[in-house]
Amino acid sequence: MSESLLSPPLTGPGPRRVPLPLITNPSEGPVKQSAKDFRSAEEVRWCPGCGDYAILAAVQGFLPELGLRRENIVFVSGIGCSSRFPYYMNTYGMHSIHGRAPAIATGLSVSRPDLSVWVITGDGDALSIGGNHLIHALRRNVNLKILLFNNRIYGLTKGQYSPTSEPGKITKSTPMGSLDTPFNPVSLAVGAGAGFVARTVDSDRKHLTSVLRAAAEYEGTALVEIYQNCNIFNDGAFEVLKNPATRDDHLLRLEQGQPLRYGSDGEHTIVRDAAGSLRPAAEAGATEGSDAEVIHDAHAADPALAFALSRLPENGGPTPIGVFRSVARPSYDRQVAEQLEQAVQASGPGDLDALLAGRDHWTV
Amino acid sequence: MTYVIGTNCVDVKDRTCIAECPVDCIYEGERMLYIHPDECVDCGACEPVCPVEAIYPADTLPTEWLWHLDAATAVTAGREDEPDAGPVDDHPDVLKLPARTGSA
Amino acid sequence: MSKQVLAKQVLAVPGVVIRFAGDSGDGIQLTGDRFTAQTATFGNDLATLPDFPAEIRAPQGTLPGVSAFQLHFADHSVATPGDSADVLIAMNPAALKANLEHLRPAAQIIADSDQFTKRNLTKAGYAANPLEDGSLEAYTVQPVPLTTLTVGALKDFGLSRKDAERSKNMFALGLLSWMYQRPTENTIAHLTTKFAKKPAIMRANIAAFHAGWNFGETTEAFAVSYVVAPAPAPAGTYRNITGNLALAYGLVAGAERAGLPLFLGSYPITPASDILHELSRHKNFGVTTFQAEDEIAAVSAALGASFGGSIGVTTTSGPGIALKAEAVGLAVTLELPLIVVNIQRGGPSTGLPTKTEQADLLQVLHGRNGESPVPVVSASSPGDCFDATLEAVRIALKYRTPVVLLSDGYLANGSEPWRVPQSAALPDLRVEFASGPNGVAADGTPRFLPYLRDPQTLARPWAVPGTPGLEHRIGGLEKADGTGDISYDADNHEFMVRVRQAKVDGIANDLPPTVVDDPTGDARVLVLGWGSTAGPIAAACAEVRAAGGSVARVHLRHLNPFPNDLGEILAAYDRVLVPEMNLGQLALLIRGRYLVDAISHTQVRGTPFKSSDLRNAIEKVISDV
Repeated sequence: MSESLLSPPLTGPGPRRVPLPLITNPSEGPVKQSAKDFRSAEEVRWCPGCGDYAILAAVQGFLPELGLRRENIVFVSGIGCSSRFPYYMNTYGMHSIHGRAPAIATGLSVSRPDLSVWVITGDGDALSIGGNHLIHALRRNVNLKILLFNNRIYGLTKGQYSPTSEPGKITKSTPMGSLDTPFNPVSLAVGAGAGFVARTVDSDRKHLTSVLRAAAEYEGTALVEIYQNCNIFNDGAFEVLKNPATRDDHLLRLEQGQPLRYGSDGEHTIVRDAAGSLRPAAEAGATEGSDAEVIHDAHAADPALAFALSRLPENGGPTPIGVFRSVARPSYDRQVAEQLEQAVQASGPGDLDALLAGRDHWTV
Repeated sequence: MTYVIGTNCVDVKDRTCIAECPVDCIYEGERMLYIHPDECVDCGACEPVCPVEAIYPADTLPTEWLWHLDAATAVTAGREDEPDAGPVDDHPDVLKLPARTGSA
Repeated sequence: MSKQVLAKQVLAVPGVVIRFAGDSGDGIQLTGDRFTAQTATFGNDLATLPDFPAEIRAPQGTLPGVSAFQLHFADHSVATPGDSADVLIAMNPAALKANLEHLRPAAQIIADSDQFTKRNLTKAGYAANPLEDGSLEAYTVQPVPLTTLTVGALKDFGLSRKDAERSKNMFALGLLSWMYQRPTENTIAHLTTKFAKKPAIMRANIAAFHAGWNFGETTEAFAVSYVVAPAPAPAGTYRNITGNLALAYGLVAGAERAGLPLFLGSYPITPASDILHELSRHKNFGVTTFQAEDEIAAVSAALGASFGGSIGVTTTSGPGIALKAEAVGLAVTLELPLIVVNIQRGGPSTGLPTKTEQADLLQVLHGRNGESPVPVVSASSPGDCFDATLEAVRIALKYRTPVVLLSDGYLANGSEPWRVPQSAALPDLRVEFASGPNGVAADGTPRFLPYLRDPQTLARPWAVPGTPGLEHRIGGLEKADGTGDISYDADNHEFMVRVRQAKVDGIANDLPPTVVDDPTGDARVLVLGWGSTAGPIAAACAEVRAAGGSVARVHLRHLNPFPNDLGEILAAYDRVLVPEMNLGQLALLIRGRYLVDAISHTQVRGTPFKSSDLRNAIEKVISDV
């Protein structure tokens, strides 16, 4: 304990003298709001025809339903075309740094469980540079709604392949074709232990809205993969799923408690093979044994069905959209809050003087 | 906000905009095309492809075309998500317009 | 062992440096901590230096596995853990060999002779037993069969020989406690609490501790015990405290005084992890600790919490700072409070995880893209970590800025007596959140301008989500002055870069006058230091003055911005000597900023300066003036 040359911290008035800041949510009850209330004054600057417009319109159109006041909603994004999204929402928002939105949103949500926190991210942001944060948010079940805009390309950097691009993709950085095996975001999320995983398509407003609604109702991390068309660098990536002439044979709409059927008249069936994988039945209408027809159950505790569904396209089947998995788990935020309460119950509210003095002290 | 198709489309109906629209919100009448104002997501894909410059964002619509927004609203009402379900009935005010030859 | 209690000589000495050394599995740090606690309670001034390997358990009995703990205690003010030890307790041959260089000539060596077996001697690289071959004749060697004595003392406890042997550190502690007449009550209490769930182990440890004391009192081998009188100190309540503990308490106190919740995002890293451990125990203060998936997530989550109205904190060491750089840059442009704690260690890369260094100064100042000014505050002693932390919190809240708080491995694990402050006397750190519009839109309606600045501090309003009418978007893109809208405008960018710099520079207007320690007023040489070199510099200056020399001393708390009066102070001396545990980082800044021909004196050995080395350096500069 040498004699210090340093002053103790300044005493007296700190920064401006004011009443204690309010941390509790001041707003009460639902309020009549419309899509217009959620539009900010910022000019939208995506390329004309970008799928992001449809998602923005759907989100703005759906939020009034939630009954949450806009000051209690926060959109956090990373970097990429989709990450401009928060600027266009008249809520609180943060356009952060590449890949880190789930981590920033985790700190916000855990410290402010009164807020509704949404993460806007893309396939590069969430699955390349930010892959680590995504899987850890999912396993913790932080109360975040993560909208992953998947266009299977890097748009903002002008057209390199992404971690969801199909193998062999010819891009500016892969003139001879990409060699990477892509991520299937739904498989990844199910594997990471996510409690809620869904997929939808930018152009199907009704379906998009229904999935957003289910995500918003889920307590914990809800991952929604949204197939989003980049009409500049990867136009038509999902055309087969959108074109009325082809979509019925390539799109499987997941409905809770319903058999897995598709086709314009529901004539195609999904069956489970001996290895437990799902694949299309060889013939229309065939069920290959009485127990082979598969009923969708997003609430199944075991993630096997959700995972098998996510692999259907890889097994030559249709692409499922809808809610793959929605299993109740206590959210991380709730458990953190409970530990804080338990600590106060066990030890009483913190006593700073007692803490500083400790047990082994002496008086001079 | 929405985009609106104006008089220049009448009797032209180039239809390039229909192919371009990512959310299929453009409906076809006998004499012109109509954008469903609630389905339009303001992406602007249709505007530059129109060969007769008939498409404008609602807030910059030429004054003499302002009525086209109400016309489109009326014509597309109840037709959500069904552009392929056949043509819509043209708005009465559209029907009153003189025949056009296709040049803007 | 004689049963007869001999009349023993008691000598008064002004101070002692003791070094405990053994295998990292021998419980050396615990032994040192307990001896320190007893010494602190007794009222001596003290300073400690734990010195342990990065490996949790290197092979037993080898040189890399040696763990040591040095304690300097005295009846007067103590500035350092001591250049060299007066007494070494060596639990095995490797501990002896690795620590001889830390002993003064004629130092006393107490060695566990049971461990000087052929096998252990070979492991340590000894061809012959140094306790017997005369190679230690420059020292006073006292071989004691610590292992045998401990096992003998515990023979009725029903323990295996291996378990009984584990208490030999408590036997050694008992012996040393007798030698220096330390109070034993709190060690007994500590063992009782620590092993409450293992009563057999608890009884064995307490018995070994008593046996060690009784051995000292009865054996003929130790003829003398020593008394080190309490050191005079200002009135008050005192406790012993390590730097990391003081820093953790500073964070809790800062949050309490601000009336805000504390949120720590952290990824475990040596030597910072103890702060995470400590804060996770204080949830009843509203402290949330989040062990993140990586360093980047840790700082990002802290920043997210700050956006929500908490005091966001992240704790790490140099490698973590490197990873957090981009997020700290975001905090600079978001202009939100954030505390970034760097417990520095030897680098580069993984470097020396358990050793100290202060080579991250330039990293925290300049290791980000763009013009990214961040205030930097440093702590100068274990207890000072508390004050430095409060100062970092004050600056972060008042100026809405990330602040880097620099400590290091020596401060983190070292300890000293600390006068416990009264919470009511701590700074008032309350802040005001924005609650309504602060501007007018083009159409005359009231609106919120998230980047409208306080004219005095240049801080922007802190508008937390949940506040109606203040919805706004912030982000890493350059923002327009006032509105915070995205702006790529050249004039705006020029303005915003300069205003962010001006805000940080302006903190200097808010600092107390720098204290110059120049007792005779005729010094021509100034020693300028920062961080944990404070103790060695103070001790060296005291030695210089005691020998009749004149030297002045200034120690910096604020490394960015520098105090306004620093240039004037530097100009008043003929020579400025800057000792640092790096290759001259502060010296570079001083030369660049003030055009002062600062003399850099550096060392990067992973250990603090020895005051004798610094004394030589200072006297050389004085003689050259």
